[in-house]
Amino acid sequence: MTAEHTKAPLLPNTGLMLIGMGPGRLSGMSVEALQAAKAADVRRYEAYTALWPQAQLDALEAEVGAIEKVMRPEVELPEALFELARTSLVALLVVGDPLQATTHVDLQLQATEAGLECLVFHGVSITTLVTGAIGLSNYKFGRQTTLTYPYGGWVATSPLEVIAANMHQNLHTLALLDLDPTGEGIGHQIPMRPQDAVASLRLMWDKLADAIEEMPQETALQSMRVEACEALLSGDLDSMDVVLCSDMGTDDESLVATTVAQLEGQLGGRLNSLVFQSKTSEVEEKALLRWR
Amino acid sequence: MGRKEDNIKKATEVMHILPQIRNLCIAAHIDHGKTTLSDNLIAGAGMMSSDLAGSARVLDFDEQESARGITINAASASMVHAVEGTDYLINLIDTPGHVDFGGDVTRAMRAVDGCFILACAVEGPMPQTETVVRQALKEKVKPVLFINKVDRLINELQVTPEDMMARFTETIKKVNKLIKQFAPEEFKKAWQVSVADGTVAFGSAYHNWGITVPYMAKSNISFKQIFEYCNNEDQKTLAEKAPVHEVLLDMAVTKLPGPVEAQPYRVPNIWTGDLESEIGKSMLSCDPEAELAMMITKIWMDPHAGEVAVGRIYSGAIAMGESVYAIGAAKPERVQQVSMMVGGDRIPVPKVVAGNIAALTGIRSAAAGVTLSHDKDFTPFEAIRHYSDPVVTVAVEPKSMKDLPKFIDALRSLAKADASLQVTTNAETGEALLAGMGELHLEITVYRIEEEQNIKVKVSPPIVVYREGIEGNNRGSAFEGKSPNRHNRFFFEIEPLSEEVVAALRNGDLGDGPVRSSDAKETGNKFGELGMNKDLMRKIYAIKGTNVLVNDTKGIQGLHETRELIIEAFNAVCVKGPIADEPVQGMFIRLVDAKLHEDAIHRGPAQTIPAVRNGIKGAMLRARTVLLEPMQKAFVSVPNNWLGQVTREVTNRRGIIEDMPSEGEVTTVVGVLPIAETFGFSNDIRAASQGRAVWNTENLGFQQLPPQLFDKVVAEIRTRKGLKPEPYPESYYSE
Ligand SMILES: Nc1nc2c(ncn2[C@@H]2O[C@H](COP(=O)(O)OP(=O)(O)OP(=O)(O)O)[C@@H](O)[C@H]2O)c(=O)[nH]1
Ligand SMILES: [Mg+2]
Repeated sequence: MTAEHTKAPLLPNTGLMLIGMGPGRLSGMSVEALQAAKAADVRRYEAYTALWPQAQLDALEAEVGAIEKVMRPEVELPEALFELARTSLVALLVVGDPLQATTHVDLQLQATEAGLECLVFHGVSITTLVTGAIGLSNYKFGRQTTLTYPYGGWVATSPLEVIAANMHQNLHTLALLDLDPTGEGIGHQIPMRPQDAVASLRLMWDKLADAIEEMPQETALQSMRVEACEALLSGDLDSMDVVLCSDMGTDDESLVATTVAQLEGQLGGRLNSLVFQSKTSEVEEKALLRWR
Repeated sequence: MGRKEDNIKKATEVMHILPQIRNLCIAAHIDHGKTTLSDNLIAGAGMMSSDLAGSARVLDFDEQESARGITINAASASMVHAVEGTDYLINLIDTPGHVDFGGDVTRAMRAVDGCFILACAVEGPMPQTETVVRQALKEKVKPVLFINKVDRLINELQVTPEDMMARFTETIKKVNKLIKQFAPEEFKKAWQVSVADGTVAFGSAYHNWGITVPYMAKSNISFKQIFEYCNNEDQKTLAEKAPVHEVLLDMAVTKLPGPVEAQPYRVPNIWTGDLESEIGKSMLSCDPEAELAMMITKIWMDPHAGEVAVGRIYSGAIAMGESVYAIGAAKPERVQQVSMMVGGDRIPVPKVVAGNIAALTGIRSAAAGVTLSHDKDFTPFEAIRHYSDPVVTVAVEPKSMKDLPKFIDALRSLAKADASLQVTTNAETGEALLAGMGELHLEITVYRIEEEQNIKVKVSPPIVVYREGIEGNNRGSAFEGKSPNRHNRFFFEIEPLSEEVVAALRNGDLGDGPVRSSDAKETGNKFGELGMNKDLMRKIYAIKGTNVLVNDTKGIQGLHETRELIIEAFNAVCVKGPIADEPVQGMFIRLVDAKLHEDAIHRGPAQTIPAVRNGIKGAMLRARTVLLEPMQKAFVSVPNNWLGQVTREVTNRRGIIEDMPSEGEVTTVVGVLPIAETFGFSNDIRAASQGRAVWNTENLGFQQLPPQLFDKVVAEIRTRKGLKPEPYPESYYSE
């Protein structure tokens, strides 16, 4: 049986479709995204950077057809995926919005280079959701970062550097939390809990204090970053303000405004992210009161 | 017998009178007569029957040592000797001459203040003589010279008195040249040895006589007389007139420094703590009443008492029953027994004080190089560095699996007692790889497992350890290593380090391991002194063996975060190179550029380590990798009748004959040959010469394997390791 008859009129017969799934609810997906997923011959779900609740995933499968889970190597070395896309229409389902991550932009570029048709269907991204839901001004957010697990003893410092640099410019930071304790993108995923995030932050804090003299200061921007880190480290990690955002965009969505020290006692949800706020305006302050 | 007990009693008394103590060792090329002399001194001092001296070799008390006629362990013995009515306590350490056991010499030097350098009158100073002189001077140990086997010169070679004098002069000149070259600045002049001032002695340890100019004056003997006694085969009378122990122990007392004299310059050389502190001052003054500071220099296995730790006390005292910290261990340990050593005998005493050498039992965490103190946070003594590249490996496993726990235990204590031995165990299969300094070293180790620990083992044939290196460079043509996600790229350029720098790295002068950024400036300056670009070297990341990694990039955001991962990957390549997973040597690796993913989540270990590993391996291939094999210099002395057979044995083994000096009826074949070809050499050479050949060797380090053998050897190593026979090409590492 050929796929032609079942496909929506605007979709090609072969190629790759990057489909945004939104944060975690079937009903939060766009109609065109759902149609595209349904029309695909092959459906892959990229489960590396974020996850959907199982029940919602089952519902999606019932709606659009069988979906196979893939991990990082399949996306980073996409030869097999491209091979498929030469003869059939392949959907790569990505939690949130696909083009929020470099990995998928890179995938899009490579697909085009390989002569494949590559379509994108956007979904609601965690970024949009969080900034809006908390009530902090969207334009006052700086660069986003991901708090990583200490992979086999290796501790990153750049997430903390990003927070520092944002704060230095009075910008808030959205920090997503890692899902992969091994850092290898192949094993069993364990979303970071708030207490893990605090443990990781403490390690980063200590390492940054040691590494600061090694940070490059060749450009004005780099010097600013060092200055920002120094300013951050002169303060105290425990008393930093933070908003814990759990299961955003799902039925279990919750927000808690607290401090790093108290974050340790929070259970959080299935998937969590943190917002480190810098100076807040009166309106923002009032909006935050709702989550205290 | 009575005299021995009497002497032990005296020794325990004199131990407390600091100006009357001398700590010294005897060091020389193999077979130059160290043990024969040591025995003689011990016997002469009344610690054993004098008939036995010269044949019993008390200090070769190990069964293997007696059987093979060589010293394997540095053994120590204390004796009492009177000079002008005053008793002196002499703590003497005999050391091995065989290159396989060179580490023992280095460690012994840490315990003493002076040393007798022996040189055979016939052979003169040999390569190992130079090595031991250097080892002594590095530790600021004062040397005096004993020219041994003078009887052979007269009786076997039948030289004239003029010839004899000329040979002595030549030997003394060579030794002085070494002293001038290697002594610390302040001693280059002061420590020159000379006949006139009595820092040179001549004699025959075997025939129990020795002489110095001051002793000649005292006893009215002339050179002519000595010559005549030997010629007339009446060395017995000579031994009565000038007993070697009298002469040499006099020399030790009058020409070598005691601890009070030596510690002020030796302590700053081996201890980096604050010399103005209380403990610093008491070490400088060798104060027996102060806090304890002791350094363990040797561990040996006593069949009854187990591990015995021998070392030098620099300050305070150590007493039976007290608790001490082996610095680095979490808990203090109780000293079960304190003893002084006399040959095979350990004589228990209540305590031993500063300035002496003591043997302890009960300190399980002690190993050669460990510092003992009552203070947990005491600054330990500098590590004893003996750069030993293991060259031969055997695989060993217990014949019966039920011996496995015992086997693992035995390996642990062997490794502790012998710092030159590298042990890698596979706890699951029970197989252990022993890597050592030579075939003999491993044979002895296996013997110890079987006989001393009573575990029957299966042993594989010996295999040499190869090295990987480069013959060119890839300057200006950096190799790019990519991470699996291709978002992180590291660019490397590699070139060989100069021989001078490699030598300094071997010596440990530049340190080893990751260089903290706070230390990088100082380390960079040291490289600068060796002719490298100081500013570049201040950006050093790490040293591993004889390889150096430098960050030659500028202003790369996020590099500091991945620094330790880069070092980890560098270390991994240094241990297992791209050709055959063999260790890598002599590489100067520069990271010249890097492109990193913005987010830490995409540049963690799983990304960075393979990228750097591939980058370095690819750069090595681009700089043209070579395989290096360990080489050995062999000195085979053989009567001229068998010369042809011996040279054939050498050349058949890919050996090159460098020199063939002859002395009367005997010729010495000096050959350079690959260690891979020397297994079984000993038996073959014995057979070829009907047992007439006498030979010894010196390790020469690594040399490039002849290109025509490359493919074959690489395939052999790789197959043995379960790898596919051909190494990967450069392109493999840019994937
Ligand atoms: N003719 C003669 N032979 C000597 C003399 N001193 C030692 N020997 C012989 O040389 C050989 C080696 O002597 P050792 O005392 O074992 O030599 P070593 O320096 O301790 O040897 P290693 O410990 O193996 O390095 C023995 O056969 C001795 O008998 C000497 O003065 N004259
Ligand atoms: Mg000996």
